[in-house]
Amino acid sequence: MAARGVRHFVAAVGFLAVAAYATIYARGWADAPIRSDGYSYYLYLPSALIYHDLTLDAVARDWYDGSYPPFAAIRRWPSTGRWLDAVPIGVAAMMLPFFLVGDALTWWSNFPRDGFSFYYQQAAGLAGLTYALVGLALVRALLRRYFRDGVVLATLVTLTFGTNLFHYATFDATFSHAFSFCLVAAWVLLIERWRERPTAAASLGLGAIAGGIVLTRNVNAVFLLVLPFRCWRELWPRRRALALAAIAGAACLLPQAAMYRFITGSWWVNSYALLGNYFNFATPRIGSVLFSTQKGLFFWSPALLLAVAGAFLARRWPRSFVAATGVTFALQLFIVASWSEWQLGGSFGHRAFTDGFALVAPLFASTFDWAASRPRARALIAAFAALAVLLSIAQMLQYWLGILPYANTTWSQYRTLFLRFR
Amino acid sequence: MKRIAWLALVAAALVALRDPVWAGRVSSGFRSWEEDPPGTPFRWTAGRASFFVPADATAMTLPLRTEFSGPNGAPTEVEIRSDDRYLATVRLPDRHVWTRTRLPLGGRAGRRYRRIDVRVNRVVPPFMLGVMVGEVELTR
Repeated sequence: MAARGVRHFVAAVGFLAVAAYATIYARGWADAPIRSDGYSYYLYLPSALIYHDLTLDAVARDWYDGSYPPFAAIRRWPSTGRWLDAVPIGVAAMMLPFFLVGDALTWWSNFPRDGFSFYYQQAAGLAGLTYALVGLALVRALLRRYFRDGVVLATLVTLTFGTNLFHYATFDATFSHAFSFCLVAAWVLLIERWRERPTAAASLGLGAIAGGIVLTRNVNAVFLLVLPFRCWRELWPRRRALALAAIAGAACLLPQAAMYRFITGSWWVNSYALLGNYFNFATPRIGSVLFSTQKGLFFWSPALLLAVAGAFLARRWPRSFVAATGVTFALQLFIVASWSEWQLGGSFGHRAFTDGFALVAPLFASTFDWAASRPRARALIAAFAALAVLLSIAQMLQYWLGILPYANTTWSQYRTLFLRFR
Repeated sequence: MKRIAWLALVAAALVALRDPVWAGRVSSGFRSWEEDPPGTPFRWTAGRASFFVPADATAMTLPLRTEFSGPNGAPTEVEIRSDDRYLATVRLPDRHVWTRTRLPLGGRAGRRYRRIDVRVNRVVPPFMLGVMVGEVELTR
């Protein structure tokens, strides 16, 4: 039963996700998929492949009389006057195959080849959905190496529906989080494989995935620390393989660096500086990021407390993840909490942490594994996980229906709206 | 056998998507429908917008309105094309007034719907508004 559930889990989530995606757009619960942050991530593709213009100028002229809407994270760099898109090119690169299919269908169906008509929208949205599913398949492959099917299934269900992962696979699929989730899952799995067999292909793959992680969200460079934590004994003996990985990673970053150089005159820049966002490392809002009604990570996804418990319960292989997960999580927390826009704008739960869910999966599994042989604990943890999953699904639906605010939720609002669907 | 079934499925999908029956409900570059005070339904465009009309229509009347003057105080201009064929450039010299332009749509279409593209020479921030487009009246 559990084995069958694990085998068909990704397909079942895929079916549910496509149904949810179709419902969201058929019922008009959200604007077309390429919106908000998704617009800025996607923009590189129509600029380069339809408008044949890497400067982002042609799209601005054609659609917006030479400027960009305020919601887009795109500003002119003061010294050169060139457009700088604050978000990097990684998501667009990952969307490319979907974009090409959308472009071909647009031409075939005589739809407007403007980069934003029907097929382009669905191609971008379904790209995020697909990468989330691939990420889940990779997490499943990682967990199956060390855990029983029942534990793997419980972990996958909790991870998918007890957090905001399903939301970022469907409702906000063009944001970077589904893409980053997939890349971090590939990173963790590949590190395990590279530890066992450091072939040239594995080293190149490691470098490419590392480059992809940084290209998708610069701040996610913290996930690269998983490698030294998991393989600290192997680092020096495998320095040649690591050099190969570094070359592959650098090659991936080169187009972005060249673009920054052309736009700003520098090889790497703080691309968010022009948006008025800044770090305030002296007063990080750690309590707010973790527990607030606004976007508190554990407030909106209490299921994640099971992963925290897992950090203490983990034995053998998953134990080796505790340090890597703890350090990356602490760094990520400090960076996000120090950011002037610590809620990251409108979002369901705290989306900054969705990217690293593959890394906490072994800790989730550790809790379920520990409870499996203890009947009382099993009942308690199963009940907590079920309630957390149901609550998360209910609140996600409230968010989709526009009942829960997109940001700045207060305790009084939360209490008034608790489990209300009208 | 399985491969043939897949190829047949893809071929059938491509045939269906060549001329989709639902294209008439598809548009791009528009904001949601609104109503002006007398109750006229309309949608704002951005700098460009597209929609579909049935291919058997011989002409369409396109209601256009602007709330802003064009570049340098000149009238806003709206270029209209049908399946990439130039139809007309409509000038909107007066603000807050609906201008209804009748446009012949002759020529063979070869599909169920013709694509109408609208391009505006002025977009006003912060909401990036081009012109208001009312409900299209078709002549068959």
